[in-house]
Amino acid sequence: MKSAKWENIFKGWDNSESETVHTLKKVPVFKEFSDKDFAELEKMMHHRDFNSGDFVFKNRAPGEGMYIIMRGSIKITVGTRAGNENVLAELNQGEFFGELALFDDEPRSANAIALEDCTMLGFFTQDLMILKERNPVLGHKIMFNLGGLLGERLRKTNKLLIKEQSK
Amino acid sequence: MIEKESNYIQQIYRIILFLIGLWFINLIWPYISDVILMLVFAFLFTTVLLSSVDAFERRIGNRSLSVLGVVIILLAGVSTFVGSFISQISQQAQDFSQRVDQDTMSNEFKLLGEKINSALPSFIKTDDSSSDYFANKLTDITQTVLGSLGSLVSTVGNFMFIAVMVFIFTIILLSEYHTFKKALVNAIPNKYFEVGLKLIYNIEKSVSSYLRGQFLSAASVAGMSIAGLLLLNFFGANLTLVIFIGIIAGLANLIPLIGPFVGMVPALMIAFMNNLGNEAATAHMFLGTIPSPFFSIDIIFMFLVVQQIEGNLITPSLVGKSVGLHPMLVMIVLLIGGTLLGPLGMLFAVPATGVIKVILNEIAFVRKNAHLL
Repeated sequence: MKSAKWENIFKGWDNSESETVHTLKKVPVFKEFSDKDFAELEKMMHHRDFNSGDFVFKNRAPGEGMYIIMRGSIKITVGTRAGNENVLAELNQGEFFGELALFDDEPRSANAIALEDCTMLGFFTQDLMILKERNPVLGHKIMFNLGGLLGERLRKTNKLLIKEQSK
Repeated sequence: MIEKESNYIQQIYRIILFLIGLWFINLIWPYISDVILMLVFAFLFTTVLLSSVDAFERRIGNRSLSVLGVVIILLAGVSTFVGSFISQISQQAQDFSQRVDQDTMSNEFKLLGEKINSALPSFIKTDDSSSDYFANKLTDITQTVLGSLGSLVSTVGNFMFIAVMVFIFTIILLSEYHTFKKALVNAIPNKYFEVGLKLIYNIEKSVSSYLRGQFLSAASVAGMSIAGLLLLNFFGANLTLVIFIGIIAGLANLIPLIGPFVGMVPALMIAFMNNLGNEAATAHMFLGTIPSPFFSIDIIFMFLVVQQIEGNLITPSLVGKSVGLHPMLVMIVLLIGGTLLGPLGMLFAVPATGVIKVILNEIAFVRKNAHLL
């Protein structure tokens, strides 16, 4: 017999992975994390729902952190929606964006718009600061992985630049 | 033109709503003020204990047990301190009452009055027997203080009720802090989400760094007071309960302006109780020139030095920077807090202003970037 009371008492004893952890495991920023690390990280994530066509954030808006797509898809654009919109990328489940805001106070460099009804996981500078205080090892792991990803992107950009210049 | 008029109407509508809100709060304030005060205290205690509970939880993996552990450790520490303080102070009072009866006390005051009178310059001296005047006055004061102890008992009863409620609220907040915070964060609309999150974080940071600064400052006052009292004992002040006096001085220091003076009182009382009847202590001169019966001037001077070090060196670097308020503004809000709520108002004035400053900064930020949200 299953009752709500017993379910509540044994809450957390169930070892099956939550959808949040399942999504987080796909993100390279959290690679080589243990189950305990994911459990800690899961507590810090903010679930946000966006309707199709909603702005997740606008270009030049103050940015506080990154979003991970748990359900749905979004597009990254520059320019306004009326005519001169330039789509830079389309991102789907398990992909992330806005991570630059974790490092600096600069405004957002593009728009992020929901292409369909979406659920995002938000991870913000404040969460990273709290995590660094509460669990420095985990905080440093995230910073190190983010640094690695940014380095990789910079290298790709450099290659593109060289390719363009040599044309 | 019509748009401008409707804007004016909206503004007037908002002002009326705001005034109705203020009137309503004023109406219900007497019924809710105690509960709000309890919640504020519980929130402050939660802020202080939260990092210990979180650290404990990470080790044992259970929130309830972590809260229980931290609360047990805290209660054990506080009850050991209070219990040992009460037993020692009652022992001290027993010794004092056995040693000194009413007549002896009057005689001692008379003797003290004569000593002070002889040390005064001739133009201040009165013609009547000022020694009797001093003796009567001091005896009256002592009896008034002892008489008011009765009313203290009822105050203690009321305090105990508030303390128990604050304790319960603190336990609930500690257990559910992250859940409550998450619920609050989830209630923020997407448009203001990042700004709201930043606001909550900045308020938390402001309050916790203020509290951390205050406690470090209190600890330094306690340490310096203990060192100063031990130094006075080295010169024959015969002070007991030195560690307790130091800790009380440190805790009293949390209340700005009047706290430091409250810290002096137990030291002066102990000096008086221990040295009454001691000829050398009654005739003691501060720096060999100023009459300082029972080392009173020495004690006051020592506390003033401690306050100066704390006020000019320690607090500005620990507390002032944490809330980022101008010293002039700190003085003004302390006076306003003191006028409105007494010592409690003074205790909360600075952190409350810090929080209001954070909120105003964020509102200004949102207004500036409203078109981008």
